[in-house]
Amino acid sequence: MAKKKTVTKGAAGAKPRKKVKKKVRKKRVASAEAAAPAAEPETNGEVKKSSTKRRTTAQAMAAKQRDISVSEFFAKNRHLLGFDNPRKALLTTIKEAVDNSLDACEEAGILPEIWVHIESTGVDRYKVGIQDNGPGILKKQIPLIFGKLLYGSKFHRLRQSRGQQGIGISAAGMYGVQTTGKPVKIISKVSARKPAHYYEIQIDTKRNEPKILNGKGEGVDIPPGDKGAKEIEKHGIEWVDQPHGTRVTIELEAKYQRGRGSVDEYLHQTAIANPHVTLHYLDPDGNQRDYDRAAEQLPPEPKEILPHPYGVELGRLAALLGEADGQTVTQFFTTSFSRVSPGVARKICKGAGVSPRLPAKRVDRNGADKLYHAIQSTKIAPPATDCICPIGEELILKGLHQVVPGEFYAAATRPPSVYRGNPFVIEVGLAYGGTAPTQNVTKDLLEELIEETDARTVRQFLIHTFNGLGAEAADRIIKTAGLGTRSAPGKLKPKDRAKLFDAMKNVNVSEGQMMDVLRLANRVPLQFQHAACAITQTIMQTNWRSYGLSQSRGSLPKGPVTLMVHMASVWVPFTSESKEAVASYPEIQKEIRLAMQAVGRKLGMFLRRRLRVKQQTDRREVFMRYLKEVSTAVSEINGAGQAALYDQLVKVAKKVTADADMQMDDRGRKIKAEEVDYGENVLIVDPTNHEAAINRNTKTGDDDGEEE
Amino acid sequence: MAKKKVRRAAGATATKTRVKLTPRDKKTMNSLVGLADRVVSAAEGRRDPYVDIPSRTLSNVKYSPRKRILEMGSGKNRRQLFDLSQAKAYMRTMLVASGCKRLLDQGKTTSLRGLFYMLKHTIEGSKENTFDEQNECDTIIEDVEVLLNSIREELHLYAENRGAMVGAITFTDKGDEINCARMGSGGYAIPSICEPEVIQFDKSKCKAKFILHVEKGTVWQRFNEDRFWEKHNCILTHGSGQPPRGVRRMLYRLHNELKLPLYCVLDNDPWGYYIYSVIKQGSINLAFESQRMAIPDAKFLGLRSIDFERCELSDSVKIALNDTDRKRAKQVARYPWFEKKRDWQREIQKMIKNDFKLEVESLISKDISYVTEVYVPERLQQQDWLD
Repeated sequence: MAKKKTVTKGAAGAKPRKKVKKKVRKKRVASAEAAAPAAEPETNGEVKKSSTKRRTTAQAMAAKQRDISVSEFFAKNRHLLGFDNPRKALLTTIKEAVDNSLDACEEAGILPEIWVHIESTGVDRYKVGIQDNGPGILKKQIPLIFGKLLYGSKFHRLRQSRGQQGIGISAAGMYGVQTTGKPVKIISKVSARKPAHYYEIQIDTKRNEPKILNGKGEGVDIPPGDKGAKEIEKHGIEWVDQPHGTRVTIELEAKYQRGRGSVDEYLHQTAIANPHVTLHYLDPDGNQRDYDRAAEQLPPEPKEILPHPYGVELGRLAALLGEADGQTVTQFFTTSFSRVSPGVARKICKGAGVSPRLPAKRVDRNGADKLYHAIQSTKIAPPATDCICPIGEELILKGLHQVVPGEFYAAATRPPSVYRGNPFVIEVGLAYGGTAPTQNVTKDLLEELIEETDARTVRQFLIHTFNGLGAEAADRIIKTAGLGTRSAPGKLKPKDRAKLFDAMKNVNVSEGQMMDVLRLANRVPLQFQHAACAITQTIMQTNWRSYGLSQSRGSLPKGPVTLMVHMASVWVPFTSESKEAVASYPEIQKEIRLAMQAVGRKLGMFLRRRLRVKQQTDRREVFMRYLKEVSTAVSEINGAGQAALYDQLVKVAKKVTADADMQMDDRGRKIKAEEVDYGENVLIVDPTNHEAAINRNTKTGDDDGEEE
Repeated sequence: MAKKKVRRAAGATATKTRVKLTPRDKKTMNSLVGLADRVVSAAEGRRDPYVDIPSRTLSNVKYSPRKRILEMGSGKNRRQLFDLSQAKAYMRTMLVASGCKRLLDQGKTTSLRGLFYMLKHTIEGSKENTFDEQNECDTIIEDVEVLLNSIREELHLYAENRGAMVGAITFTDKGDEINCARMGSGGYAIPSICEPEVIQFDKSKCKAKFILHVEKGTVWQRFNEDRFWEKHNCILTHGSGQPPRGVRRMLYRLHNELKLPLYCVLDNDPWGYYIYSVIKQGSINLAFESQRMAIPDAKFLGLRSIDFERCELSDSVKIALNDTDRKRAKQVARYPWFEKKRDWQREIQKMIKNDFKLEVESLISKDISYVTEVYVPERLQQQDWLD
């Protein structure tokens, strides 16, 4: 979002809300213009080589120079928004729609329920429908929200939310129109009694304005009841009847593929990070998957805060000063920033050598520079942190348990901290054990996966399709199956497929399995660029060996572990526009490390304990093995009854290993707090009774999901 | 209670067996049954069964300056059934005890290897064997010996025959008369059990005046071929290196019952010193048998570290000392029974200084029969030996 940031600097100075909209657009245009000459090198080159014959004149060039609309810019540079390839386009479209829905529901105080529907309509063409049970959208706002880039409510405030700029869903619509020519279809209903509104919208890329196609440019009202339902169906929309909510349907050129960076993965992780959400997902193959909510309560509403002085840059400070009408410098500081009292403001002014009474507008560039440096050297209380709503340890445990099969869960939420004046909270959740994804697959699903994949070798297919499956494990599976390393998955004979399936079930992959990392920022999963992300880097730098996992230097630890790291902040520092990786600020890395160490310690305790139990069990086995020999030998010497003696010795053995017995029943199976003190926020379950482990199999494979 | 049981059990088994137990066997049998009874009573009392085995380590061995032999101390190692590291050893101890019981019952003896095969089987419900190697069994047998305070012979076990003997003596072995002067080139193989029940001496039938013990069979062959024992009127023995218990017991009985002095001709290396030490004071591992085997009056005739110069040997017979040799030599020098003897300290220091060792065979470089015709007679003549 670098583009975004430049806009921020220019536009945030505007105080009255309504003006802002236009300003944003203008600045955006300006920045686009600034970029334009670079795109036309001939022009530049010519000016320099004026000694030779001129090819054109300034006047002629001026005729070609004109405004570039935001939508035109992004239509050309759609990769900036995550539409680089058909596969990612599908994900981005769904992601933007789901994020918007969740934000809307939470803002209105409704427990979100979301339906995602993907349907294939042709070669590389999919129809995507996303519906929520949110508050609905007013009729006049619908075209603007879905048909105009950079239109939204979230950009101008400093508040924790998923979306930030108001590009996403309209860009998705634009992409759909561009690739398939089909308009975006929106149905929104504000209440049960009022009619739903139905719009078909195209974006006018030249003017960045919505163009309404149906109802003579006015949209259509759909009456409530059966009559309306039939009408909706006629338009090819699968509306789930709800008293209020919004459904957006976009048809686009896309590619559906499972595995890493897929829609499935995104929804899966969203369910973990948002345990208060119910998700219904129908994939193009007709498989229905439901993620039921684990929590019945909405997260508390995040508060909006003023920027903190430490986080402001010089350019922005100068702009803000220039816009402060009729305020003194002191007044300006106290009203525009958080944590600045008149006393602190006076200190800053003193440090800068600027009079506190000076009207803010009259501070010049030099004065602003001095003020900026004075801010850095003045001690100011850290920003308020109650504006951040972490998921919370309890809900992380619930969410992880619901979705990731395992036997040990731990979570830690760090106290709020600050980077560059922005408060943030790091949360970590860890799930250990459980069955590997390869073992959860049904035979039918495997057949489908093999059909779908574009991997050239079986090895590639295994690594890319199953999350967290390392190359080592893949090799072992292939070896066990007795397949050639180079054989193409598509050309496998039914016999070979059966062999592969058996091998997947039988090979213990957890030995070479890498830790599965779920990265989240403000409850939104980050699926790409893991290597560039501060979260991944910090995991690699942390020593997991002391917590009982094996780890090669500078890589992720190995083992059947899922680690979720969530960063909640009013402003998450992404490394690039596409919101894919968190930048490595030392303050953020430190918090991540501390949180991981907290759960790591608990995991270490659990693993050591389990090892001990295993040893105790072994110990008893050793005794039992020798008892028969001993009793036989003794009875041979003194004629004592062999059977009676054996029974007695067994009793002694049981007595001696009694504590092993006790631990065996409790540890690793059932929760018993008084035995080992893991501290809070730990969940231990019996892996055999895990719901997610069982559900996954039946849900993905058996249900044909025709209910929607 | 234990006592009562012992008698009943012993009686019961005795009636079953065909063989009548000797008084010695009865004593062994009693201690075996006592061992088993302790297991039963522990199990009845829900206690952890254990055995206390006298420890057979250097730390539990004491040199008695008065008796001039090694004695076992009172240190014991407890071996428990319900201890992870000892469970298997405990089980093996009981197995060996039951094996010996069977031998006693049937009045038969068997070799160590025989017992190993008797007891070796796969443990029910596992792939584990009771014993995998014979040496595992052998150490347990030694444990049982000290545990029951009964020597191997009393457990009806014997080792492979090792060592040989010729000389001017006639005795009875299991009723057969053995004339050691008519043993040909092979000599009389010293049995592993040389107890009075097996071998009886008759003072009048012994013409020998002393015993010459050599280290190895090859050297012994030389002496035998040269009829050394005939010329010098002695008994000639060897122990194939470290003498086994049979040889040591034989030497002990010859020395004590027939009052024959003992002279040893061993290699000049730490190993040779140690063999002498074992014959003289007893071994650390079998310290409990010292009083039946050690011969404190045994003399060390050679080879000496001064022999290289004294006998003018050629350089080619030197064998360089290695690190283990040097370490071992220093260790031997520190044994309390060598520590106070100045001659021995000089001898060992000289060898370390030489930095080479000499085998008895090296004397052959002078002349084939140098050792029998010159070396040993000279030493005996001059009474030149180490004590």
